[in-house]
Amino acid sequence: MKRLGYTLLMLFLIAGPVQAATPEIELVIRDHLFFPSVVEVPAGQKIRLRIINQDATPEEFESYELNREKVIAGNRETVIFIGPLQPGEYPFFGEFYPRTAQGKVVAR
Amino acid sequence: MFLDAVILFLQEILEASLLISVLLALTELFHKGSGHEFRLSAYWVACAMILSGLGAWAYAAAMPTISEWFDYVGQEIVNSLLHLLSLILLIVLATVVPAGLFREAQTLRNRMTVLSMVIIVLLALVREGSEIILYLNGVLSQAENTIPVLSGGVVGTGIGISSGVFLYYSLISLNQPWSTRVCVLLLALLAGTMASQIVMLLSQADWLPYTAEAWNSSSLVPESSLPGRLLYALIGYEATPSILQVACYGLAVLSILVCPLFRNAWFQSKPVEGRV
Repeated sequence: MKRLGYTLLMLFLIAGPVQAATPEIELVIRDHLFFPSVVEVPAGQKIRLRIINQDATPEEFESYELNREKVIAGNRETVIFIGPLQPGEYPFFGEFYPRTAQGKVVAR
Repeated sequence: MFLDAVILFLQEILEASLLISVLLALTELFHKGSGHEFRLSAYWVACAMILSGLGAWAYAAAMPTISEWFDYVGQEIVNSLLHLLSLILLIVLATVVPAGLFREAQTLRNRMTVLSMVIIVLLALVREGSEIILYLNGVLSQAENTIPVLSGGVVGTGIGISSGVFLYYSLISLNQPWSTRVCVLLLALLAGTMASQIVMLLSQADWLPYTAEAWNSSSLVPESSLPGRLLYALIGYEATPSILQVACYGLAVLSILVCPLFRNAWFQSKPVEGRV
Protein backbone atom coordinates (compact mmCIF):
# COMPACT_ATOMS: atom_id res chain seq x y z
CA MET A 1 0.00 0.00 0.00
CA LYS A 2 2.86 2.37 0.68
CA ARG A 3 4.48 1.25 -2.52
CA LEU A 4 2.24 3.54 -4.55
CA GLY A 5 3.26 6.53 -2.47
CA TYR A 6 6.92 5.73 -2.97
CA THR A 7 6.47 5.11 -6.67
CA LEU A 8 4.75 8.43 -7.19
CA LEU A 9 7.31 10.19 -5.02
CA MET A 10 10.12 8.66 -7.08
CA LEU A 11 8.38 9.83 -10.23
CA PHE A 12 8.34 13.36 -8.83
CA LEU A 13 12.01 13.18 -7.98
CA ILE A 14 13.41 11.60 -11.11
CA ALA A 15 11.02 12.69 -13.82
CA GLY A 16 12.47 16.13 -14.46
CA PRO A 17 11.20 18.16 -17.38
CA VAL A 18 11.83 16.31 -20.60
CA GLN A 19 13.96 18.51 -22.78
CA ALA A 20 13.13 17.96 -26.42
CA ALA A 21 12.59 20.11 -29.44
CA THR A 22 8.85 20.40 -28.99
CA PRO A 23 7.20 22.82 -31.43
CA GLU A 24 5.59 25.79 -29.69
CA ILE A 25 2.30 27.38 -30.70
CA GLU A 26 0.94 30.64 -29.31
CA LEU A 27 -2.61 31.26 -28.22
CA VAL A 28 -3.72 34.70 -27.02
CA ILE A 29 -6.68 35.54 -24.79
CA ARG A 30 -8.03 39.04 -25.36
CA ASP A 31 -11.48 40.43 -24.43
CA HIS A 32 -12.45 36.90 -23.31
CA LEU A 33 -11.80 35.51 -26.80
CA PHE A 34 -9.12 33.13 -28.06
CA PHE A 35 -6.82 34.25 -30.92
CA PRO A 36 -6.60 32.26 -33.12
CA SER A 37 -9.78 30.39 -32.34
CA VAL A 38 -8.70 27.56 -34.62
CA VAL A 39 -5.25 26.24 -33.72
CA GLU A 40 -3.75 24.00 -36.39
CA VAL A 41 -1.17 21.51 -35.15
CA PRO A 42 0.65 18.59 -36.77
CA ALA A 43 -0.89 15.25 -35.80
CA GLY A 44 1.21 12.67 -33.98
CA GLN A 45 3.48 15.24 -32.34
CA LYS A 46 3.73 16.74 -28.90
CA ILE A 47 2.98 20.48 -28.85
CA ARG A 48 3.94 23.17 -26.36
CA LEU A 49 0.94 25.50 -26.26
CA ARG A 50 1.95 28.92 -24.94
CA ILE A 51 -1.16 30.75 -23.74
CA ILE A 52 -0.86 34.49 -23.21
CA ASN A 53 -3.66 36.15 -21.27
CA GLN A 54 -3.82 39.80 -22.27
CA ASP A 55 -6.95 40.42 -20.20
CA ALA A 56 -6.64 41.74 -16.68
CA THR A 57 -8.93 38.93 -15.48
CA PRO A 58 -7.97 35.28 -15.01
CA GLU A 59 -9.26 32.61 -17.38
CA GLU A 60 -9.31 28.83 -17.19
CA PHE A 61 -8.31 26.92 -20.30
CA GLU A 62 -10.38 23.76 -20.36
CA SER A 63 -10.82 20.95 -22.87
CA TYR A 64 -12.55 17.66 -22.21
CA GLU A 65 -11.29 16.28 -25.51
CA LEU A 66 -7.67 17.20 -24.84
CA ASN A 67 -7.95 16.27 -21.15
CA ARG A 68 -6.51 19.62 -20.15
CA GLU A 69 -7.41 22.22 -17.52
CA LYS A 70 -5.42 25.20 -16.29
CA VAL A 71 -5.99 28.61 -14.75
CA ILE A 72 -4.14 31.52 -16.37
CA ALA A 73 -3.95 34.64 -14.21
CA GLY A 74 -4.68 38.07 -15.68
CA ASN A 75 -1.85 39.61 -17.74
CA ARG A 76 0.24 36.45 -17.42
CA GLU A 77 1.23 33.62 -19.67
CA THR A 78 1.51 29.91 -19.24
CA VAL A 79 2.39 26.66 -20.98
CA ILE A 80 0.33 23.52 -21.56
CA PHE A 81 1.67 20.44 -23.30
CA ILE A 82 -0.78 18.63 -25.59
CA GLY A 83 -0.58 15.61 -27.85
CA PRO A 84 0.64 13.67 -29.69
CA LEU A 85 -2.86 13.89 -31.17
CA GLN A 86 -4.71 11.72 -33.65
CA PRO A 87 -5.96 13.72 -36.66
CA GLY A 88 -9.22 15.40 -35.66
CA GLU A 89 -10.83 18.34 -33.89
CA TYR A 90 -10.43 19.05 -30.19
CA PRO A 91 -12.67 21.85 -28.86
CA PHE A 92 -11.50 23.97 -25.93
CA PHE A 93 -13.06 26.83 -24.00
CA GLY A 94 -12.41 29.34 -21.25
CA GLU A 95 -14.29 28.07 -18.25
CA PHE A 96 -14.70 31.53 -16.74
CA TYR A 97 -16.21 33.00 -19.92
CA PRO A 98 -17.49 29.89 -21.73
CA ARG A 99 -19.91 31.79 -23.99
CA THR A 100 -17.30 33.84 -25.79
CA ALA A 101 -13.99 32.12 -25.11
CA GLN A 102 -14.21 29.14 -27.44
CA GLY A 103 -11.90 27.52 -29.91
CA LYS A 104 -10.56 24.26 -31.21
CA VAL A 105 -7.31 22.50 -31.93
CA VAL A 106 -7.26 20.88 -35.35
CA ALA A 107 -4.69 18.13 -35.73
CA ARG A 108 -3.72 17.21 -39.31
CA MET B 1 -23.46 34.52 -16.72
CA PHE B 2 -25.89 33.08 -14.18
CA LEU B 3 -25.76 29.58 -15.65
CA ASP B 4 -21.98 29.68 -16.10
CA ALA B 5 -21.62 30.59 -12.43
CA VAL B 6 -23.99 27.77 -11.40
CA ILE B 7 -21.93 25.21 -13.33
CA LEU B 8 -18.56 26.51 -12.12
CA PHE B 9 -19.58 26.60 -8.46
CA LEU B 10 -21.35 23.25 -8.72
CA GLN B 11 -18.30 21.59 -10.22
CA GLU B 12 -15.89 22.87 -7.56
CA ILE B 13 -18.23 22.42 -4.58
CA LEU B 14 -19.32 18.95 -5.68
CA GLU B 15 -15.80 17.51 -5.63
CA ALA B 16 -15.17 18.68 -2.08
CA SER B 17 -18.66 17.93 -0.82
CA LEU B 18 -18.75 14.30 -2.00
CA LEU B 19 -15.34 13.60 -0.45
CA ILE B 20 -16.39 15.20 2.84
CA SER B 21 -19.70 13.26 2.82
CA VAL B 22 -17.93 9.93 2.52
CA LEU B 23 -15.52 10.82 5.35
CA LEU B 24 -18.41 12.07 7.51
CA ALA B 25 -20.47 8.94 6.88
CA LEU B 26 -17.50 6.76 7.77
CA THR B 27 -16.94 8.69 11.00
CA GLU B 28 -20.62 8.41 11.89
CA LEU B 29 -20.64 4.65 11.20
CA PHE B 30 -17.61 4.09 13.39
CA HIS B 31 -19.16 6.09 16.20
CA LYS B 32 -22.34 4.07 15.93
CA GLY B 33 -20.33 0.85 15.89
CA SER B 34 -18.56 1.74 19.11
CA GLY B 35 -21.77 2.92 20.79
CA HIS B 36 -21.10 6.65 20.76
CA GLU B 37 -23.33 9.34 19.47
CA PHE B 38 -21.83 11.36 16.63
CA ARG B 39 -22.55 15.05 16.37
CA LEU B 40 -20.90 17.44 13.99
CA SER B 41 -19.71 20.32 16.12
CA ALA B 42 -20.46 23.80 14.85
CA TYR B 43 -17.14 24.92 16.33
CA TRP B 44 -15.14 22.57 14.12
CA VAL B 45 -17.21 23.39 11.04
CA ALA B 46 -16.51 27.08 11.66
CA CYS B 47 -12.79 26.36 12.15
CA ALA B 48 -12.69 24.39 8.87
CA MET B 49 -14.50 27.18 7.01
CA ILE B 50 -12.18 29.91 8.32
CA LEU B 51 -8.96 27.92 7.85
CA SER B 52 -9.83 26.68 4.38
CA GLY B 53 -11.13 30.12 3.38
CA LEU B 54 -7.80 31.67 4.39
CA GLY B 55 -5.89 28.84 2.71
CA ALA B 56 -7.88 29.14 -0.52
CA TRP B 57 -7.40 32.91 -0.55
CA ALA B 58 -3.63 32.59 -0.02
CA TYR B 59 -3.33 29.86 -2.67
CA ALA B 60 -5.34 31.92 -5.16
CA ALA B 61 -3.22 35.00 -4.41
CA ALA B 62 0.01 33.03 -4.93
CA MET B 63 -1.25 31.31 -8.10
CA PRO B 64 0.15 33.82 -10.64
CA THR B 65 3.62 33.38 -9.10
CA ILE B 66 3.35 29.61 -8.60
CA SER B 67 2.27 29.25 -12.25
CA GLU B 68 5.60 30.56 -13.46
CA TRP B 69 7.69 28.09 -11.49
CA PHE B 70 9.40 25.20 -13.32
CA ASP B 71 9.16 26.94 -16.70
CA TYR B 72 5.44 27.77 -16.42
CA VAL B 73 4.19 24.43 -15.11
CA GLY B 74 4.33 25.29 -11.39
CA GLN B 75 0.56 25.11 -11.08
CA GLU B 76 0.51 21.49 -12.24
CA ILE B 77 3.42 20.51 -9.99
CA VAL B 78 2.03 22.14 -6.83
CA ASN B 79 -1.51 20.87 -7.51
CA SER B 80 -0.29 17.36 -8.11
CA LEU B 81 1.75 17.51 -4.88
CA LEU B 82 -1.43 18.53 -3.01
CA HIS B 83 -3.28 15.62 -4.62
CA LEU B 84 -0.41 13.28 -3.78
CA LEU B 85 -0.50 14.37 -0.14
CA SER B 86 -4.27 13.74 -0.01
CA LEU B 87 -3.81 10.34 -1.61
CA ILE B 88 -1.10 9.33 0.86
CA LEU B 89 -3.28 10.52 3.75
CA LEU B 90 -6.24 8.48 2.44
CA ILE B 91 -3.99 5.41 2.51
CA VAL B 92 -2.79 6.33 6.01
CA LEU B 93 -6.41 6.72 7.06
CA ALA B 94 -7.40 3.34 5.67
CA THR B 95 -4.43 1.79 7.44
CA VAL B 96 -4.75 3.28 10.92
CA VAL B 97 -8.48 3.73 11.28
CA PRO B 98 -9.93 0.37 12.29
CA ALA B 99 -8.23 -0.38 15.56
CA GLY B 100 -9.79 1.15 18.64
CA LEU B 101 -11.20 4.11 16.85
CA PHE B 102 -12.54 6.83 19.12
CA ARG B 103 -12.48 4.58 22.12
CA GLU B 104 -9.37 5.70 23.84
CA ALA B 105 -9.19 9.29 22.86
CA GLN B 106 -5.44 9.71 23.08
CA THR B 107 -4.06 6.77 21.14
CA LEU B 108 -1.64 7.47 18.34
CA ARG B 109 -4.00 5.80 15.86
CA ASN B 110 -6.83 8.11 16.81
CA ARG B 111 -4.66 11.16 16.51
CA MET B 112 -3.41 10.03 13.09
CA THR B 113 -6.96 9.32 11.96
CA VAL B 114 -8.22 12.73 13.00
CA LEU B 115 -5.18 14.54 11.66
CA SER B 116 -5.30 12.84 8.26
CA MET B 117 -9.05 13.51 7.92
CA VAL B 118 -8.55 17.16 8.87
CA ILE B 119 -5.76 17.63 6.32
CA ILE B 120 -7.64 15.78 3.54
CA VAL B 121 -10.70 17.98 4.06
CA LEU B 122 -8.70 21.21 4.27
CA LEU B 123 -6.71 20.35 1.13
CA ALA B 124 -9.90 19.62 -0.80
CA LEU B 125 -11.49 22.89 0.33
CA VAL B 126 -8.35 24.92 -0.42
CA ARG B 127 -7.97 23.42 -3.91
CA GLU B 128 -11.57 23.93 -4.94
CA GLY B 129 -12.02 27.19 -3.02
CA SER B 130 -9.01 28.85 -4.63
CA GLU B 131 -10.46 28.22 -8.07
CA ILE B 132 -13.75 29.82 -7.03
CA ILE B 133 -11.87 32.82 -5.63
CA LEU B 134 -9.87 33.23 -8.86
CA TYR B 135 -13.09 33.05 -10.85
CA LEU B 136 -14.86 35.60 -8.64
CA ASN B 137 -11.85 37.94 -8.77
CA GLY B 138 -12.13 37.95 -12.53
CA VAL B 139 -15.84 38.15 -13.22
CA LEU B 140 -16.74 40.49 -10.37
CA SER B 141 -14.43 43.17 -11.74
CA GLN B 142 -17.34 44.04 -14.03
CA ALA B 143 -20.13 45.44 -11.87
CA GLU B 144 -22.98 44.15 -14.07
CA ASN B 145 -21.88 40.57 -13.36
CA THR B 146 -22.35 40.86 -9.61
CA ILE B 147 -25.99 39.78 -9.29
CA PRO B 148 -26.05 36.92 -11.84
CA VAL B 149 -22.71 35.53 -10.66
CA LEU B 150 -23.48 35.68 -6.95
CA SER B 151 -26.98 34.23 -7.36
CA GLY B 152 -25.56 31.55 -9.66
CA GLY B 153 -22.93 30.89 -7.02
CA VAL B 154 -25.58 30.44 -4.35
CA VAL B 155 -27.56 28.03 -6.54
CA GLY B 156 -24.46 26.05 -7.55
CA THR B 157 -23.24 25.86 -3.97
CA GLY B 158 -26.72 24.81 -2.87
CA ILE B 159 -26.92 21.96 -5.38
CA GLY B 160 -23.35 20.89 -4.59
CA ILE B 161 -23.91 20.77 -0.85
CA SER B 162 -27.33 19.11 -1.24
CA SER B 163 -25.75 16.37 -3.34
CA GLY B 164 -23.23 15.82 -0.55
CA VAL B 165 -25.96 15.75 2.10
CA PHE B 166 -27.97 13.32 -0.04
CA LEU B 167 -24.97 11.03 -0.44
CA TYR B 168 -24.23 11.20 3.28
CA TYR B 169 -27.76 10.20 4.32
CA SER B 170 -27.93 7.52 1.63
CA LEU B 171 -24.68 6.04 2.93
CA ILE B 172 -25.61 5.98 6.60
CA SER B 173 -29.14 4.71 5.96
CA LEU B 174 -27.94 1.54 4.24
CA ASN B 175 -28.00 -1.58 6.37
CA GLN B 176 -24.77 -2.66 8.01
CA PRO B 177 -22.36 -4.05 6.93
CA TRP B 178 -23.19 -2.59 3.51
CA SER B 179 -23.06 0.96 4.77
CA THR B 180 -19.39 0.70 5.74
CA ARG B 181 -18.59 -1.42 2.71
CA VAL B 182 -19.93 1.14 0.26
CA CYS B 183 -18.18 3.98 2.13
CA VAL B 184 -14.83 2.22 1.95
CA LEU B 185 -15.34 1.40 -1.71
CA LEU B 186 -16.11 5.05 -2.46
CA LEU B 187 -13.00 6.03 -0.51
CA ALA B 188 -10.97 3.71 -2.74
CA LEU B 189 -12.49 5.26 -5.88
CA LEU B 190 -11.77 8.76 -4.54
CA ALA B 191 -8.15 7.69 -4.07
CA GLY B 192 -8.19 6.48 -7.68
CA THR B 193 -9.54 9.86 -8.78
CA MET B 194 -6.66 11.62 -7.06
CA ALA B 195 -4.09 9.36 -8.71
CA SER B 196 -5.67 9.92 -12.11
CA GLN B 197 -5.62 13.71 -11.52
CA ILE B 198 -1.92 13.55 -10.61
CA VAL B 199 -1.14 11.76 -13.87
CA MET B 200 -3.25 14.21 -15.88
CA LEU B 201 -1.49 17.21 -14.30
CA LEU B 202 2.02 15.80 -14.73
CA SER B 203 1.30 14.83 -18.36
CA GLN B 204 0.01 18.35 -18.98
CA ALA B 205 3.31 19.64 -17.57
CA ASP B 206 5.25 17.11 -19.70
CA TRP B 207 6.77 15.62 -16.55
CA LEU B 208 5.27 12.23 -17.40
CA PRO B 209 5.57 10.52 -20.76
CA TYR B 210 2.64 10.41 -23.17
CA THR B 211 0.60 7.23 -23.16
CA ALA B 212 -2.19 6.41 -25.61
CA GLU B 213 -5.89 6.84 -24.88
CA ALA B 214 -7.25 3.85 -22.95
CA TRP B 215 -10.81 4.26 -24.25
CA ASN B 216 -13.21 6.85 -25.59
CA SER B 217 -16.65 6.87 -24.00
CA SER B 218 -17.48 10.47 -24.89
CA SER B 219 -20.40 9.41 -27.07
CA LEU B 220 -21.76 7.28 -24.22
CA VAL B 221 -21.39 9.67 -21.29
CA PRO B 222 -19.94 13.04 -22.35
CA GLU B 223 -17.79 14.60 -19.63
CA SER B 224 -19.57 17.92 -20.10
CA SER B 225 -23.00 16.38 -19.36
CA LEU B 226 -24.50 16.43 -15.87
CA PRO B 227 -24.06 12.65 -15.36
CA GLY B 228 -20.49 13.05 -16.64
CA ARG B 229 -19.74 15.79 -14.10
CA LEU B 230 -21.36 13.88 -11.26
CA LEU B 231 -19.43 10.73 -12.15
CA TYR B 232 -16.25 12.79 -12.41
CA ALA B 233 -16.73 14.23 -8.92
CA LEU B 234 -17.68 10.88 -7.40
CA ILE B 235 -15.46 8.33 -9.11
CA GLY B 236 -13.13 10.45 -11.27
CA TYR B 237 -14.82 9.59 -14.54
CA GLU B 238 -12.95 10.63 -17.69
CA ALA B 239 -14.29 10.02 -21.18
CA THR B 240 -10.80 9.77 -22.71
CA PRO B 241 -8.31 8.72 -20.04
CA SER B 242 -4.75 7.78 -20.90
CA ILE B 243 -3.45 4.27 -20.21
CA LEU B 244 -1.15 5.64 -17.48
CA GLN B 245 -4.12 7.39 -15.83
CA VAL B 246 -6.12 4.17 -15.76
CA ALA B 247 -3.13 2.19 -14.46
CA CYS B 248 -2.45 4.65 -11.62
CA TYR B 249 -6.18 4.83 -10.84
CA GLY B 250 -6.22 1.06 -10.47
CA LEU B 251 -3.07 1.07 -8.37
CA ALA B 252 -4.50 3.68 -5.99
CA VAL B 253 -7.80 1.80 -5.64
CA LEU B 254 -5.83 -1.36 -4.95
CA SER B 255 -3.74 0.39 -2.31
CA ILE B 256 -6.94 1.14 -0.34
CA LEU B 257 -8.32 -2.35 -0.94
CA VAL B 258 -5.31 -3.99 0.72
CA CYS B 259 -5.63 -1.75 3.81
CA PRO B 260 -7.07 -3.10 7.08
CA LEU B 261 -10.10 -0.81 6.77
CA PHE B 262 -11.29 -2.57 3.63
CA ARG B 263 -10.49 -6.05 4.89
CA ASN B 264 -12.42 -5.46 8.10
CA ALA B 265 -15.40 -3.99 6.29
CA TRP B 266 -15.69 -6.75 3.71
CA PHE B 267 -14.31 -9.92 5.19
CA GLN B 268 -15.29 -9.87 8.84
CA SER B 269 -18.53 -11.57 9.73
CA LYS B 270 -19.34 -8.87 12.28
CA PRO B 271 -19.82 -5.31 11.07
CA VAL B 272 -16.87 -3.04 11.70
CA GLU B 273 -17.31 -1.80 15.20
CA GLY B 274 -14.42 0.53 15.56
CA ARG B 275 -12.46 -1.92 17.66
CA VAL B 276 -10.41 -4.97 17.01
